[in-house]
Amino acid sequence: MTGVTTLHVRSISHKNAPTAVRERAHLTEERAVELMDALSAGSAAGGAEAGEPVCVSVIPVSTCNRTEIYLEVRAGADPDAVLREGLRAIGADEDVFFGEHVLRLDDLEAIAHLYRLASGMESMMLGEPQITAQLKEAYRLARAHHEPGPGLLRAFQGAFRAGKRVRTETRISTGAVSVAFAAVELARKFFDRFSRHRAVLVGTGETGALAARHFLQHEIGQLTLVNRSFERAEALAATLREEQLRQLDDPTGDDAEASRSDRAIRARADRITARPWDELAAAIADADVVLSTTGATEPVILPDMVQAAVHGRHGLPLFMLDIAVPRDIHEDVAKIGNVFVFGLEDLDEIVQGNLAARRAQIPHAERLIGEELDEFRQWLDDIDMRPTVAEFRAYLEDLKDKQVGFVRRKHSDEVAAEVDKSLQQFIKKVLGRSMSTVRNAETREERQRHLETLRHLFSTDERDSD
Amino acid sequence: MSTLLTLLTILLPIGYLAVWADYLWLFYTDNPRARRTCSRLAAAMVLLHMIVMVVRAVGLKRLPMGTQSEFLGALALAILGTYLIVERRFRAKGTGFLTTGAAAVLMLLASLAGPGVAATSPLLHDPGFAGHAVLVLLAYTALSLSFVYAVLYLVLARQLMRRQFGLLFRRLPALETLERMSVVAVEMGVPLMFLALALGHLWMYDLADRVDARTAQALTPWDPKILLSWVIFLAYTAGLVGHRLFGWRGRRMNIMAVAAFVAVILGMGAMHHFFPTFHKFPTLDESTIATPTSDPLAMASREDR
Repeated sequence: MTGVTTLHVRSISHKNAPTAVRERAHLTEERAVELMDALSAGSAAGGAEAGEPVCVSVIPVSTCNRTEIYLEVRAGADPDAVLREGLRAIGADEDVFFGEHVLRLDDLEAIAHLYRLASGMESMMLGEPQITAQLKEAYRLARAHHEPGPGLLRAFQGAFRAGKRVRTETRISTGAVSVAFAAVELARKFFDRFSRHRAVLVGTGETGALAARHFLQHEIGQLTLVNRSFERAEALAATLREEQLRQLDDPTGDDAEASRSDRAIRARADRITARPWDELAAAIADADVVLSTTGATEPVILPDMVQAAVHGRHGLPLFMLDIAVPRDIHEDVAKIGNVFVFGLEDLDEIVQGNLAARRAQIPHAERLIGEELDEFRQWLDDIDMRPTVAEFRAYLEDLKDKQVGFVRRKHSDEVAAEVDKSLQQFIKKVLGRSMSTVRNAETREERQRHLETLRHLFSTDERDSD
Repeated sequence: MSTLLTLLTILLPIGYLAVWADYLWLFYTDNPRARRTCSRLAAAMVLLHMIVMVVRAVGLKRLPMGTQSEFLGALALAILGTYLIVERRFRAKGTGFLTTGAAAVLMLLASLAGPGVAATSPLLHDPGFAGHAVLVLLAYTALSLSFVYAVLYLVLARQLMRRQFGLLFRRLPALETLERMSVVAVEMGVPLMFLALALGHLWMYDLADRVDARTAQALTPWDPKILLSWVIFLAYTAGLVGHRLFGWRGRRMNIMAVAAFVAVILGMGAMHHFFPTFHKFPTLDESTIATPTSDPLAMASREDR
């Protein structure tokens, strides 16, 4: 593909493989490093010349939804043979990468796939940003162990650029696409300064805990947990407090100059509390956001309870989210003024709306990816020109320096500087014209002929003999 | 200079329409490019319009609010400028399509109204009156913005209550932000109104000393428009106090803001209908004003002649 190397990807993802297969294909960071070491150690697989490593570079990317192996191998080498040998060397389940669930893409198709992946277009949740960080981590790991070949290096850099453009120039990553985030997004339509507001979580089930974590992540000012079992509420509160404190830059708290974010985290952790079940009404009265997720078979939040809570709020809205099945909040609660009750179906509607909005951005994103791929193609097309052009440039620069030196001796520094500037422009134009002539060659043979002529006229060897 | 001014006068409505189009683009598509450009374009338009106003004021040697066109233009500038201040404070651009739309329509009307004949009142040459008029304009603009945000609050609250998660749900800021925007607009409008009223009173007493007795009688603080303005000022101040001290919030607070502004419009309309001569100082013209050399008003009048 690059003249001397070819690029390939072997992908097992949520699109083409069930979870069991993805689990078998998963590579931990240590396994990924082992694979890179094994492949770069050199092998003669695939028919390359003896003693020369056929694998120029390998970048494994393994996340919960996909395992992909990007390979750059010497032209003529069989990438599957190279990969099989590498996987066998580290004792990985090699068959899984050659079964029916594998997507095999080569050359530009592989690059296009990488660009789409970095843009979130291949993600389970269209436009999700996590994959970019995972790709960057894989790239960092690869560079830390073995410098990738020119093709993969350029491809990954291009993919990050494409991803950035897609995320900043389109709205493909905006809007919540999970129910838990949709809950936060909906609450944010009421209160934008979460840190000044209080939430109460009724029930300590898994869904509730997840929603509570999202609210904490968005810096809700205070979180109160109420559960029939006070012990369970206290246990979850302690877990959530611990999770908050894990984010501290200075966990010891010894640093008197603790950062502002550390102080905020500690304050937030201190405001995660539990209250007994008989204080439910009081907890609701203190809250701006109520999340209810109990497993009760009858409504536990009743109209008179909420009516009393609303009384002292001076018109401030009360946001209530009932994600329990069957419902926790009595249907008459929604009839109380300034009380907004939402359920799972509302969150689902928001998610579907956001997904549709993201899907509407696909054509724009594809256009941007196409532009970036064109750049990669251009780079690829010019790759054979590069050494010749470099030599030609060196020759012209050499001539220019001699001429400028001559002018400096004969006249002055100022005149020499002017001549230098003028000759630089001249070199730029000559190089531009030459490259354009080579690029516009109608056939590959003609292109090679042009390059040959340039090499013949201006190569270092020719100049030395001259 | 006059050619440049004419050119700018033609460009201004086009610029205002471009600002509106940019905010509409942002509202309908949430396009990142529109997000980046809309505020900058609006700020550039405010700057350009202010330059035009200053150049025009210098050229005419009076406040450029003497014709219908000039007044509408000044109102458009006040709306756009005040909106930008609020937008910058809250970093919420989702409401821009409404306010910039109002400014663009006013600017277009100003342009269509043609140059018109300037009011000949020498008051327009007086810096005291000019300050009073500008402050009044800014105060009412701020109050009208407060009205717009209160209406948007009620619309969004209604949509949320009905579980309609459409375009307004996606684009408008949070209810809390809309309420704060409305309150901030009132917080801007109330002191401006106080300053406008205070300056108006001071200027009126100063002027009364310089006109004949018959004209001085027309300069009364019991002018219905002045009294109504004080009532409006007190009503909005009470609303602010209620919000700050008693925690008035939410739907009720925003209904009050809407009702207050509707009352202002109806009150002013009734005032103009039933007392058309008030606050117009009909007997006041250049011949009735004493012209001591130290009197800036008189000096301005002489220069004009």
